Order: sequence, then structure tokens, then C-alpha cells
Amino acid sequence: MKLSVFAFSLLAATALTSQAHADKLDDIIASGTLRCAVVLDFPPMGARDESNNAIGFDVDYCNDLAKALGVTAEIVETPFPERIPALMSGRVDIGVASTSDTLERAKTVGMTVPYFAFEMAVTANEKSGVKSFEDIKGKIVGATAGTYEAIALEEQVKAWGVGEFRPYQTQADVFLALSQGQLDATVSTSTVAQANVKTGKFPGVAVVGKAPFDTDYVALFTNREEYGLINYLNLFVNQQVRTGRYAELYGKWVGGEAPALSVNGVYR
Amino acid sequence: MFDTTLTWNDLAFLAQGAAMTLAVTAVSVTAGTVLGILFGVLRVQLGGIWSAPLTFVLDVFRSVPLLIQLVLGNALQSIAKLGWAPFTTSCVVLSLYTAAYCSEIIRGGIGAVPATTRRAARSLGMTWWQDMRYIVAPLATRVSLPAWIGLTLGVMKDSALVLWLGLIELLRASQILVTRLQEPLFILLICGVIYFVISFPIARLGGYLERRWSPND
Amino acid sequence: MLNYTFHWNQALKALPQMLDGAVVTLQIALLSMVLGLALALTLTAFRLSGSRILSGFATTWVEVARNTPALFQIYMAHFGLGNFGIHLSPYTALLIGIAFNNAGYLTENFRGALKAIPDTQARAGRSLGMTPIQAFRLIVLPQMLRVAFLPATNQMVWAILMTSLGVTVGMNTDLAGITQELNARSFRTFEFFALAAVIYYIIAKLVTLAARLVAARMFRY
Repeated sequence: MKLSVFAFSLLAATALTSQAHADKLDDIIASGTLRCAVVLDFPPMGARDESNNAIGFDVDYCNDLAKALGVTAEIVETPFPERIPALMSGRVDIGVASTSDTLERAKTVGMTVPYFAFEMAVTANEKSGVKSFEDIKGKIVGATAGTYEAIALEEQVKAWGVGEFRPYQTQADVFLALSQGQLDATVSTSTVAQANVKTGKFPGVAVVGKAPFDTDYVALFTNREEYGLINYLNLFVNQQVRTGRYAELYGKWVGGEAPALSVNGVYR
Repeated sequence: MFDTTLTWNDLAFLAQGAAMTLAVTAVSVTAGTVLGILFGVLRVQLGGIWSAPLTFVLDVFRSVPLLIQLVLGNALQSIAKLGWAPFTTSCVVLSLYTAAYCSEIIRGGIGAVPATTRRAARSLGMTWWQDMRYIVAPLATRVSLPAWIGLTLGVMKDSALVLWLGLIELLRASQILVTRLQEPLFILLICGVIYFVISFPIARLGGYLERRWSPND
Repeated sequence: MLNYTFHWNQALKALPQMLDGAVVTLQIALLSMVLGLALALTLTAFRLSGSRILSGFATTWVEVARNTPALFQIYMAHFGLGNFGIHLSPYTALLIGIAFNNAGYLTENFRGALKAIPDTQARAGRSLGMTPIQAFRLIVLPQMLRVAFLPATNQMVWAILMTSLGVTVGMNTDLAGITQELNARSFRTFEFFALAAVIYYIIAKLVTLAARLVAARMFRY
């Protein structure tokens, strides 16, 4: 009797203290599942196969992370605009969603070190006669709303003072509009451009060159105040590169040499 | 155009999307109607001045685009850390949206019952509840039902917007297939036909009831 | 419990930009209403013409407009027509999508309004020596517009709300488009959309009020 009371209070005490100290990292390990927000119309980072299952670089990356944590991964599909509300509401634990690490966004969420880097490529419809980035001056161009390249491209169009910029809500709509000739050209990450052109579903659409924008580094993200988890994620990104898994996944989904994730001359 | 790569598997995927559309509609219309009746009766009972705050709130739901409401509702639940799934958020927002329109319909329905009829009922010794139950409800239903059917169909169509929150309903399912198969026109036409097939017969029923029950005929 | 600090000043700083968007929103809504009314009158004329083909066309239009989502109609105006090489800018696609929808609902309103006008009036007009068109224009039409005016006001509010769907076809100059872009840049969803909601509400109320004033003068309700 006495013992059970003692045991109970001990249990209660542990429960209380552990609750007080548990951070998100603890929560994930305790719950046994890691819920990742992934954008699934962004091949090859996130896409669907013939049976409409989730596949892609980001999906594999989430699975790797779950394995490292010793939990099972759960892929939560989020459209681009839904990534942050999903995180804020606790519906997902982290985002593995090709999210550019802009300073503006870091005011709202916590970004890790970059886990992937995009080069920007110009993809054009043959009929437009666009052969390089310079040619898109004065044309109708578009990109996925809110992405790094969309913001850069819109500013470029404004600076030129001619032409028109159209943001679409999904990458899929951009390529649809491009193949229909509604857009003359788009600037997107070269991985996305190649993956889309490679499908052969967009006749008359080709990658015509690089866009002179800075490399777009994308980061994993979670709540701003979850330092324990961010710390773990940073180390995980480091380990992925160190063990060669990053290069392996890059080879699997994109092909070619994986871009460097570090910036010369500065720490992070 | 009929040379398509669309498989049975994909059609099943579309059907799942349609089922999601119907599920969201069913939940929202049910909850919205219950709330709408409650609010409608409250507004009639309280009178214009006392129900002003309620009227104002419901009016907001009718004057702000549903897309904005959904995004706001979702942001709000995320800030409050409620952790609702997109389905829950969608249903809650759509229910309130439905309730706002429904309370208007109910108010109109109750208003259409002649005051003399109700006074007659009360002078026969009926209680307020009996009056509502046996006199107002049957008469108001006749007036309100066609409009309510229209509302239900409206909600069914508006529910396409929940794709913004990541719910794979009919339109979103179509978009996913368009992404993979690149046959926009064909797949979108199928999507449109499905909406039409669901909506049209019910709309016809509503029109029939309206004609049949129209008090002037 | 609330682990979120609101950054309202960020949203307020964007207010002028959003108000510019509100002007575009109102503009599209008004234009779509004018177009919708013209189309609806034409469709009503088709229905009354007695020609099976014309009235069938009108009925098809009305039923499709009323039985598919507005979002679908706008998406079709952009990507569906794009498939045929008809390229509408987001602005035009949105305008046409809403006008298509407006025309469907307004035609239905007119049908209801026409029922309220007894046949005998038009016949009386005819026996006074009016042509059928004169009888329609001078006797039926004014009364029809009067009955249909209030439902048409509702449709106008609907048109304002529908403009928000333009974001799905690449629209970035209207209120919803600007709001969404601000949100995508900063992830401050709640602040920006709350402000947008307030602006939409004010526009809707102003339009309703204006319509009431117009109605009071024109129709002496």
C-alpha cells in the first residue's frame, strides 16, 4: 500500500518533471513518429508515383531523419502556402519542403543550415524565341508564388520595366501555362526544370540556360524556439553530407554532381 | 483527346476526391444547418437591437471571401496550437459560413409565417414551443427548403476551395492528375462533369419544390 | 499558451499596397457585373425567342454556370481555353470566369422576375400597337429590372468575393493576390489575411449601401 503510493507519486513526479522539460525533440522520440511537411508537386523533391504515393528527395530525406531518430516517418502533404500553418498548429514537427532560408521568413520560423541548394535555370517555350536569360526581357514570365526565384524574377521584371510577371500557386500550374504558351518562359530551380522536361510531357519546352540569381539555399525548418531540435537537425544535415548519403540521394533524384552546401568565407 | 493515359486507378483517385468533397459538404451542411436554425431563431426572438452583434458576425461571414476565411481560420487554429487536421479546419470554417447563410434563410422562413396565424395558435393555448413546433416549423420549411437546397449546393461547390489547405477533394485530385498526365482539358472536363452530375439533379429537385410549394400558385 | 507574437506593424506597412489591390478587385467585380448583365439580357432574350437552339444554348449556359464551382470556371477560363491556344491573361481569365458565372445566375434571376409580371401587360401593350420588342423594352424590362435589382446586388457582392479566386490563375494585382504574395514572403499569414478580410468587408458593405441608394432613386422602393 505504502509502496504503491510512493511509486505513484514517483511516477507522477517524473511525469510532471519530464513534461516540464520535454522539448519537441523529446516529443518526437516519445511519440514514435516524425511528421514532415513535404510539398508533393515539386518534382524531384516531392512528387507522386503512378499509385499516387509520395516520392522524392524530400520524402527520402524525411525517412532518413526518422531512421536516425529511431522513429517512423509520416509524410504530410502540404501545398506551399500551407507549410507554416501546418507547423504552427503542431500538425507537423518539421518541414522538409524546399524552403528558402530568407531572413524575412526566419522572423517567423527557425531555419537549419542548408540541406539542399538550387541553381536557377531558365526554361522557355520554343515559340517564344527565348534562348537565354537576357531574352526574357519584355516577355511574359511566371514562377511559383512566394519562392525565392519568383521574388527575384518579379523584381527583375520590375527593374526592366517591360514584360509581365505572373505568380502561380503551384509549380505544376507554371509548367502547364508554359507548355500551353501562356507563359514565354519561367525561372525555376534547375532540378525542377530538368525533372519536368525529362518527363516528355511538355513538348516544345526546353531548359535554355542559367538565370543569374544567387544560389537558392533551402533549409529544414521547425518552430523558432526549438533550439534542441534545430541543433539536432543541423547535425543531421552535416552527417548526411559527411556519410555521402546527400550525394547518393542527389544522384538518385537529380543526377550529376551535388552542389556544395557551404558558403566560402563565413561561418554559420 | 480520347487517346488518354488515364487509368482506372486514376479514376478511382478522382472518385476518392469526389467522396472527400461530399464528406466535407455533408459535415458542414449538417453542422451549419443546426447552427443556422439556432442563430435564425435567436435573431427572430431577440429582435433587431439585441441580436445586432450576432447579425454583425454572421454578416462578416457573408461579406468576406471564403478563401480568405479558410486561410484565416487555418492560421488562427495554428496560432492557438489546436493542431486540427485540414479536414477539421475546413469543416469548421465551412460550417460557420453555411450557418451565416442558413440563419438568413431561417429568418426569412419564420418571417413568412403570418403573424395572425401565430397569434391564433397562441390564443388557442399553445405554448411558444408548440407554436414553433406545429405551426411555424411546417410553414417555414416550405418557404425555406428550396433556398436551403440552393445553399447546400453552393457549399458543395464552394468546398472546392478547401484544396488551399491541402485537402485532396475533387478539384485538387484533378489538378494532381493534370500534373502527372498533362491532359488538362480532358481531366478538367471529367471533373466538371462530376460536379455537374452531383449538383444538377438536386438543383432540379429544388426548382421543382419551389414551383410546387410556391404560395402564389 | 499563445506562442505567437503578432507583427501588426508589418501588415499595416503594406496597407497602401493592399488598398491598390482593393481598387483592382472592385474594378474586376464591376466590369464582370456589366458584362454579366449584358450577357444575361442576351440569354434571357434567347430564352424568350422561341428558338429551340437559342433557348437550349441559354439553358446549358445557365445550368453549367450554376452547377459547377466558380473556382473551376475560372481555372477552365485560363487553363482549359489555354489548351486550344486561346491565351487569356490572368486578369481577363478572372473577368471572363466571373462574368460567365454572373450571367448564369442573373439569367435565372430574370426568369424569376419575368414570372412576376403578368402576360396580360405585354398583351395589352401589343394591342395598343406596340411591336413585341417595344412591349418588352417599355413594359416588361423596366419591371423585370426592378424585381431583379436586389438579387443582382447580391450577385455583385458575390462577384467581389469571387475575385479572390484569381490567385489560382496567376493574378497578383488584386487584393487577394497581393495579400497572398505578402504572406508567401514573410509567412505572416494571419496578420495579412485579417487585414484583407477587413478590407473585403468594407468593400462589400460600401457596394451594398451604394446599391440601396441607387435603388431608392431609380425604383422608389
